[in-house]
Amino acid sequence: MTPAGRRLPPRLGQGWLVAPPAAYLFALLIFPIVLIGLYSVFLRTNLTGVVAVFSFQDWGRFFPASWGELPWRTSSPFWNTFVRSMGVTVVIALATTALAYPLAYFLAFGTRRRRSLLLLVVLAPFFTSFLLRVLAWQVMLRANGVFNSALWELHLRPHGEPVSWLINTWFSVGLVLAYAWVPFVALPIFVSMERIDRRLLEAAHDLGAGRLTAFRKVTFPLSLPGVVAGFVFVLIPTTGEFVTPQLVGGPGTYMFGQAIQDLFVGTASDWNYGAVLAVWLTVVVGLLMALSGRALTMDPRR
Amino acid sequence: MSSATEPLGRAGRASLGGYYALLVVFLYAPLVVIVAFSFDDSTIAALPFSGFTTRWYRAALHDPTLLDAVRLSALIAATNAVAATALGVLASLGLSARRVLLRPAVTALLVLPLVVPAVVVGVGLLILLDEVGSGPSAGALAAGHVVITVPYTVLIILPRLRTLEASLTEAARDLGANQVVAFWAITRPLMTPAIVSSLIVGFTLSFDEYAIASFLIPPGERTFPIFIYEGSKVPQQRPELLAVASLVIALSLLLVVAAEVGRGRYERRQVAAGAG
Repeated sequence: MTPAGRRLPPRLGQGWLVAPPAAYLFALLIFPIVLIGLYSVFLRTNLTGVVAVFSFQDWGRFFPASWGELPWRTSSPFWNTFVRSMGVTVVIALATTALAYPLAYFLAFGTRRRRSLLLLVVLAPFFTSFLLRVLAWQVMLRANGVFNSALWELHLRPHGEPVSWLINTWFSVGLVLAYAWVPFVALPIFVSMERIDRRLLEAAHDLGAGRLTAFRKVTFPLSLPGVVAGFVFVLIPTTGEFVTPQLVGGPGTYMFGQAIQDLFVGTASDWNYGAVLAVWLTVVVGLLMALSGRALTMDPRR
Repeated sequence: MSSATEPLGRAGRASLGGYYALLVVFLYAPLVVIVAFSFDDSTIAALPFSGFTTRWYRAALHDPTLLDAVRLSALIAATNAVAATALGVLASLGLSARRVLLRPAVTALLVLPLVVPAVVVGVGLLILLDEVGSGPSAGALAAGHVVITVPYTVLIILPRLRTLEASLTEAARDLGANQVVAFWAITRPLMTPAIVSSLIVGFTLSFDEYAIASFLIPPGERTFPIFIYEGSKVPQQRPELLAVASLVIALSLLLVVAAEVGRGRYERRQVAAGAG
């Protein structure tokens, strides 16, 4: 309720106008996710001549019956794929955040007048097609691609002998994903650094702190919300990624998103089992969001 | 502020400046490589250069499969831009109302597509299509693109709407305009910049979208990203792809610069108008 005497802010729109967009997303996002859930417990199926009856059988196939010596060497191949690609995703997100931090720091504290231009320069490639940039890396990293042929031309390697780990490896998948995300991750870190009250740094100096101490005690803790946001920005889309490993990865870099895609549109399709993997991915992403939401709302001063 | 309190010393600034330069090289190297080899007279993109040619551009511009793919993508992207922007305008107008039923839940729903993995969106729509008894189609793909575009249009349009002087609309109502007239005469023109950005974002998002398209495109049809993906598996087709890629890169960088210049002009005009 508005206190008496204070004027209500005049309204620009009416609440019911959200109904069409909300209904649209409900029908084409929420409802399909519910359908995936029904598929995962075999209450629906696309198989003809099979009666759909509630069953946890596909979930039983996904969760390992016997745990091997390592969480990615169990009896369930798709579970192993999940653990492996989650691990790689976390490493990629950490590396990308580490690469983006100095960039954000430079933009926030090392520039003055040309800041928006310098920011635009690093963000501009992000506006060109993602697929084309992945293609460019494929052209560069291939066995007879730009890098290897350059090494041969410079007589740094015998002609015809490519560097074996350049493509179809976790290296190439990680490199391309980090490449794609660095500017995007730098953005929230930059914003959180810009928000820092410069008087805090002055106060730190007046109290005898050197630049390093001021960074450690003031700048770094206050930039953490941006760091967490940037880390999550990479983590969320990479957990379900399947385009990059398809283009620059190999048999050894099979990722969870690829597994889901193969189970739905691949040659040996199994929608009900694929639905289990899709539900699991949604649950994991939801948990990550909830965790990061808590980290983002934590007060860094405490 | 004395220089000793600056967070960066001279050496720090120089080394971070060097790091920035290295990152710029890293970010632009693939783009430069694409453009450079699109003019190379060899079917394999490798050093040394074999000579200058524009034949890959001619081949690309005369490739019916490519042109069909670009046409289909443009159609889907335009549909997506208009539909998602319309939904974005409705959602923003609704959310700027004083009272909205279940506001937190509705807001969460509107930005939810940002965090649901694309593969889950694609799988869900594929199952939905199967349930309603129709297979994949270009129309279904456009509908799927609208799902992932709506959060962007809301995030572009809603902040702009919030900065509008609500008193202007109120004045129009006081002068006898009904709600629709007030919207058309006052709110709409003031929202134009946000709507234009929203249309551009909606078009580019869809034009570049591969993940959902890989689930919803009917066999035998291709959008531009599907064409690129299929072409990347065929070595003979690569030089042509590089030529198309160069054109797309040039276009999108031009668009970014134009948008930035336009925004600068618009803001200066706003400031001038405010001062006058």
